[in-house]
This record gives sequence, C-alpha cells and structure tokens, in this order.
Amino acid sequence: MKHRKRIWRFCQWGVVFLSVITFTPLVIPANTYLPKLFGLPYTLWAGMLLTLGYTVLILIGISVHPGATQNNKNI
Amino acid sequence: MITWFWIFSIIYIGLLIYASTRTYNKKRSIDDFMLAGSNIGSILGVLTYAAALFSAFIFMGMPDFFRVHGVGAWIFLAVSDGAMFFFIFWFGYYLRNKAKTVGFKGMAGMMSHVYQTKWAGYTVFVGAFLFLIPYVAIQIRGISIFFNAIFPALLPSWGWALIIVLIMLAYGIIGGLKAIVFSDAIQALLLLTVLWIIGYNCVKYFGNVNNLFEQVEIVDNRLLSTPGPQGLFTVQFLLATFISILLLPATQPQFSTRIVVMKSMRETYRMAAGLCIVATFVFVATAFIGMYGAVRYTTASTREFISNSLLFDQSNALAALAIVGLFAAVLSTSNAQVFALGSEFRSLIRGEDRSVLLRTRIALALFAVVVMIFSVIMSDELVLLARVSFTGTSMIAPIILVGILSKKRPGKELIIASAIALFLFLFSLSEYIPDEIGGVRIDLALHGFLVLVVLTSLAVRSKRSN
Repeated sequence: MKHRKRIWRFCQWGVVFLSVITFTPLVIPANTYLPKLFGLPYTLWAGMLLTLGYTVLILIGISVHPGATQNNKNI
Repeated sequence: MITWFWIFSIIYIGLLIYASTRTYNKKRSIDDFMLAGSNIGSILGVLTYAAALFSAFIFMGMPDFFRVHGVGAWIFLAVSDGAMFFFIFWFGYYLRNKAKTVGFKGMAGMMSHVYQTKWAGYTVFVGAFLFLIPYVAIQIRGISIFFNAIFPALLPSWGWALIIVLIMLAYGIIGGLKAIVFSDAIQALLLLTVLWIIGYNCVKYFGNVNNLFEQVEIVDNRLLSTPGPQGLFTVQFLLATFISILLLPATQPQFSTRIVVMKSMRETYRMAAGLCIVATFVFVATAFIGMYGAVRYTTASTREFISNSLLFDQSNALAALAIVGLFAAVLSTSNAQVFALGSEFRSLIRGEDRSVLLRTRIALALFAVVVMIFSVIMSDELVLLARVSFTGTSMIAPIILVGILSKKRPGKELIIASAIALFLFLFSLSEYIPDEIGGVRIDLALHGFLVLVVLTSLAVRSKRSN
C-alpha cells in the first residue's frame, strides 16, 4: 500500500515536472530547430516526448491510484 | 466525388437513425435521458470524449494552425491535452466521489448544493453559456461556409447551418445523451480514419517525414521553432492556453458530464489513458497535413488550403468521406455542447420529472436558436475562438475546483472572484480594457488573481476553523 502511494506521488510530481519544463528553453528554445530527430525539428520531437511522458505516467497511475480498486457504480 | 458523398451520407445518417432508435425508450427516466444511465464503458468513453473535444477545430483548425504558426502548435494543444488527460484521471476521482455523495444532475446544480447558494450555480451556468454558444456557432459557421464553397449550387451557407442545427436539435431532444454518445463514437472513428489516411498521403507526397520537414525548412524555417513566423507562440500565450485546456474537464460541462457518466472509476481511468493515445495519433496527423500545406499552399487562404489538402488532393472516395467526417465532427461536438448546456439548465430547476424534462427540451431548442443566430453573424477565426472559449470557462474554475475538492462549504468570495474575472475577461475581449497589464497577458493575470484568491480563502478559513 505504502509502495503504491509512493508511486502515485511520483506520477503526480512527474506531471508537474513535465508541465514546468514545457515552458522553458529546454523544450521551446526560441528560433532553434536543431538537433533534429528522424527529420523532426527539436520542439516537435521534444513535445512528442512530453506527450509520451504524460501517457506513461497515466498508464502507471492507473494501477497505483487510490481509486483504482474502487468500482463506484450507480452515481 | 458527389456519388461517393451521397453513399457515405446515407450510411452515416442510417447509423445515426439506428443509434437513436436503439437508445430510444419511452419509459426512460430523466436521468436516463440526461445522463445515459451513468453506464458508459471505457471504449465508448474514449470515443465520446474525443468527439466532444476534437471537433472541426481539430479537423480544419489545427492543420491550418500548424501551416501558419508552425510546430509550436504541438505545445499549444498536444502537450496541453496530455496534461489535461492526467487531470481527468486525477480530478475524476474527486468529482465522481463528490457526485456519489451529493448527487449529480449538472455542474451548476452541484455547485449550488455545495456552496448552499444559487449564485454559485448561476455563475457556473453563465460562464458556460457565454463561452460555449459562440464556440458552437463558429464551428457551424465554418462548416456551412465550407460546404457552400464545395457545393455552391446546392444550398446557401445559412441553409447548411440550418440543417446542422435541426439535426442536432432533433437528435438531442429525441435521443438524449445515450444517442449523442453513440453518434460521437461514429464521428470519432470516422475522424480518426480520415485524418490518418490524409496525414499519411501528405507524408507520401514528399516521400518521407525527413523530406517533408526539409521542404518546410526551405519555405520558412521559422515554422520549425517557437514563437513561429507571426510570433504567436510566446511563453505567456502557451502557458495561458495550457492552464485553460488543463481545466476543461472541470470547467466545460460536456466534459465533466462525460466523466460522471462513466460506469466506474476504473473505466474512467482507462478512458483517460485511451484518450492520451488517441489524441497523440490525431495530432501527429494534423501536424503532417499542416506541414504539407506550409509547403504546397504557403500563401493560400485557410479555405483554399483546407479544400485542397482535405479534398481535391485526395481520391474521390476519401474526399467524400472527409466531407461526411467534417459534418459529423461539427454535429457531434455541437450536440455535446448544447446538450451539456441543457443539463446545466436542468440541474438548476426544480419540479416533477415530466415538467423538468419539458422545460429542459424547450431550453435546448432556445439554445439551438441562439447558436443559429450567432453562426450567421460571427467571424471565421476557428482555433483562436476555441481558445477564447477554453480561457473564458477557465475563469469559473475556482468555484468548481474548491467546490469539488473541499470537504467543507467553500467561501462565497470564490463566486465573487470568478464572476469578476469572467466579466473582466469579457471586457478585454470587447476591448473596453487592455489585453495586457504591465506586460502580462490579461488571461494569465486573471489566472494569477484567481490562484491568489483561492489560496487566501483557504488559508483564512483553515485558520478560522482551528
């Protein structure tokens, strides 16, 4: 249980981290499109990695979230 | 193309009729009608949420946004949506638990209950009404003008708008939320398929992704970075958009309702994960179409670019499917939003089930009339108007977030602050007040003001209770 809580906290902080770095030159350096990856300009592939990061955190979160075992039907 | 168009139209309308007759039940309760019996599974949940989110704004607006403003559009929408899907997951837990405790008919009604004042509900409803109606109207306008350009002899643009509004109205009033959810599923599948085939064709035209971006670099290398050729994607613009989109599951009723009507918490989580994956595929396709347009239709107008890239550069069958897909996209998103306004209205009124249902249906009809009027008189800025809608409704976020997350009755100061922010934002749009304060965008400044009010309110109340 404690382990799941820790992972869930990691997911939440992970999302905060990804959201904060989005608005830094790490992801959106002004007027810079190098280095390219598979032909994609820097901001595009960095943005795609961020989206992938959110997806991974959601997928991890599904199994460790406190409500994961709740089946609250009939709202 | 015309033959294909009629074939796909007949199939699409047949599917709509099938869905509405399957879900129609004379003996259903008002909750079955408005909340689809709160029994939606994760796959249907992904499709209906995606359809409510990915409208003509995605189909027509985002490729053009990539074409004109460059790859920063990915941060503008895809990254913001990624965070928003996590927020569905995080916020959905609290929303569904609150709904279980106090009941849910609509967000406005729920807030009236939580705050123990009707003003909370009225503010939420006004915020949704003011910013959803223009958004629905602009989509209907966009598609009706587009149809008029493709079939100039068939109908005037207001005629297309009228057809969409009438189908939307009939579908919502007769079928209820369940029918809308099924039509959403059809639209989402159609949209995904068409966008991906067109996106693939756009890359194929250049041989591969590498060649595509090399050509874009030759045309205008500013498209490959932020802030883009027109300097739109500044940090402030992207941040304010991020906040507004992040809060959508709380602030726009068509999304909060879709979280509540899920069968269980687990299905809600699966929906959030599924959405993240589906959305990524959609955005990749729109990016490719936009970059293709940046090379081939550099100086073309939006309408020329859309009609060429989505229709005339494609095979006849695919072009016809794209037209039906566009029609379906506008219909289901408009339906979702107008129906959500109906739910919000219903949550604020009291009375016997039959009379509430009748008054709700009349309200739906009135909303549709207002949408029709707006669609005739509005401007054409699809993506930026969508953004205004997201930002406008984000001003009521403090009422909803604190109302859902707090175990005690929240303070009325949150209602006052949200109402002030809502009207200041409206005044800035009408240019009665400047859209920047000390170099900070007004939307971002208002978000800051609201955060400050929420923190102060929570601190004072916690101190008092100690």
